[in-house]
Amino acid sequence: MKKNFWKRLGKRVGVIALAAGAAFMLAACSNSSSSGKDVKITILQGKVENNKQFKQIAKEYEKSHPNVKIEVTSIGGGTQYDPVLKTRISSGNAPTIFSLAGPADVKQFKAHEADLSDTKAAKAAQPGTLDAVKNDQGKAVGLPFNVEGYGFVYNKKVFEKAGIDPESLTTVDKLTAAVKQLDAQKDQLGIKGVFALPGKEAWIMSDHLLNLYVAQDYNGNAQKLYKSKTMAFSKNADMKTMLDLQKDYSIKPVMQMDYSAQVNQYFSQGKTAMIQQGDWIYPTVEGIDKNFAKNDIGMIPIPVPGEEGKLPVGTSLYWAVNSQKSTAEQKAAKNFLDWLYTSKAGKKDVVDTLHFVPAYKGYDNYKMKDPLTSVVFKYSQSHETTGWAFPGYTGTSWDPDVAQPNLQKYLSGKQSWDKTVQNMTDGWAKQQKSANN
Amino acid sequence: MKNKSLSFWLFLTPTLVALALVVFIPVLEGLFYSFTNWDGLTFTKVVGFQNYITLFQDKAFINAFWFTVGFVIVTVIMLNVIGLGLALLVTQKFKGNNFLRTVFFMPNMIGGLILGFIWQFIFTQGFQALGNAMHLSWLQNWLTDETTGFWGLVIVTVWQMSGYIMIIYIAYLQNIPNEIIEAAKIDGATAWQRFTKITFPMIAPAFTVCMFLTLSNGFKIYDQNLSLTNGGPYNSTQMLAMDIVNTAYNSGNFALSEAKAIIFFIIVAAISLLQVAYNRKREEDL
Repeated sequence: MKKNFWKRLGKRVGVIALAAGAAFMLAACSNSSSSGKDVKITILQGKVENNKQFKQIAKEYEKSHPNVKIEVTSIGGGTQYDPVLKTRISSGNAPTIFSLAGPADVKQFKAHEADLSDTKAAKAAQPGTLDAVKNDQGKAVGLPFNVEGYGFVYNKKVFEKAGIDPESLTTVDKLTAAVKQLDAQKDQLGIKGVFALPGKEAWIMSDHLLNLYVAQDYNGNAQKLYKSKTMAFSKNADMKTMLDLQKDYSIKPVMQMDYSAQVNQYFSQGKTAMIQQGDWIYPTVEGIDKNFAKNDIGMIPIPVPGEEGKLPVGTSLYWAVNSQKSTAEQKAAKNFLDWLYTSKAGKKDVVDTLHFVPAYKGYDNYKMKDPLTSVVFKYSQSHETTGWAFPGYTGTSWDPDVAQPNLQKYLSGKQSWDKTVQNMTDGWAKQQKSANN
Repeated sequence: MKNKSLSFWLFLTPTLVALALVVFIPVLEGLFYSFTNWDGLTFTKVVGFQNYITLFQDKAFINAFWFTVGFVIVTVIMLNVIGLGLALLVTQKFKGNNFLRTVFFMPNMIGGLILGFIWQFIFTQGFQALGNAMHLSWLQNWLTDETTGFWGLVIVTVWQMSGYIMIIYIAYLQNIPNEIIEAAKIDGATAWQRFTKITFPMIAPAFTVCMFLTLSNGFKIYDQNLSLTNGGPYNSTQMLAMDIVNTAYNSGNFALSEAKAIIFFIIVAAISLLQVAYNRKREEDL
């Protein structure tokens, strides 16, 4: 026993020293910040493609507002953002400003959403843009990043060669006739198909296409759809016509095509006349062929009976301010957002640095930088738009579990359209019954 | 292990703490959450076995289960047959057998995600072009339905893992004493007899190990599934691991996902342990 005593003591001392060292390091870590009245705001946002630009804007803001420090973190792709935000919140490291994708997020993070209805930006927001992010008390808890729009993005040269004016394709009949004409001249025009429909990317159908035929029943209001017990889907026959048209005249096989095949491989290299996409594809097309992107592409609305000539324009992400942070921090966060969307310098950044189509009033003298956002800006300024109702279901399990597999089944020819519609509306009713909202 | 002195526990503590922090506590926490309506952030009530009832009525989960079972059966058989075949081949004495070992093992060095993308290209572009050129319809439209998705996954997994299984078999094959084989030869045993009566029984332990590896790997596969088919089309090639991940992160149903993960854990553990117990017994009998 005694022999070992000193040995053991030695070990014990070692362990104690280690423990003490660890404790010291922990203490040192937690004691790093807090000096004076400087405010630090942290931003966690979901538009990862604009990460660089947001960081640049934050730096600029720090320069003109020396007592504010801004730290920007961007997390990509709608599906990975929520878990990260949840982790940050539950680990006590919640951001001051975060992004919300729609009504489902508003409900999920309601304990952390500050009322933003008194901010300058909220007052300047265009009518309808705040509808999707109002909380139970009817207060706006989100501010739109921007508005985006989608339709048929077309290749000007192909249409010129065929002698068709794409802007004249305002009805389903006119579009169908043009598609048939283009298809007949496929070889002369050098295209492999009139459309490129990516059957692998179910969201292109379940979010964007489906929205056109569901939104009208809910006035384009995502919140209304999110709270609706049933999904009317009264225009489903029109959706079938449009989906069939795209499928029948698409480059095949449809079910092997993904987003990058559609945009990079086919559209950007002139292998197709048009694709169903939105203004967000511009940077990708530009990355492949700058001249083509700049001069040879345009966008027209997808003709929907009763809504011809209107472009579906909406918001995919909103800013929210964390209500559980200190008042000073919340105030700084609101000031930053107001500055970004309503000050002169901020507006310039929104349009020129971020290439955002503004969701706010007071941008009359601004010009968008590329042809696709210009189209969206034009429609949004002249209010020739329809709303985005699909954020009302994209955050729910109905979208990946019901809508997407059923639409893919129809596209693969494994299921009739009637059954597809039936499954989708039944699935919605089932989900809403259990969701008690 | 009588002397459980202070230093014994002190040396054990770091490991125990680490294990508790990253394994035991999360598992227990997950088990608890599976009985609540947890959404990844908070839960408002304990719902008892509701999630377990839901998951057995969940068509997607049942589909994923049978798809995975089919996949496991096919890959276990193919991997062991091909792995053993390759091992027998490269343990023969001929020039270049070392080179072949390297080549067969190589696919295992590439990560599953990358492999999936490479093979996706082969299936959708290579097969398509070949099918078009030779008018073979079975080479066209790969990964666009459940059948081709299933065989695509099988091919990638077998191609990747058979080299690894081969290495294990090689190790055991080389341990068989030459004298026994020679004695059998002198006694007039044919090559087939030598294989079934001597080689095969002698490598029974390798069989146990490989069965365990291929079984549990087959059940848990995720990365190839993600990059090759991503569960599509219409979620028909979604395997158990992917269904669990998607239930949590796509559908936001964290509690249900936890329940699925618990069931998944029980299934994999039960099957693997049963298999090991059975094969161990067989080893002794031989």
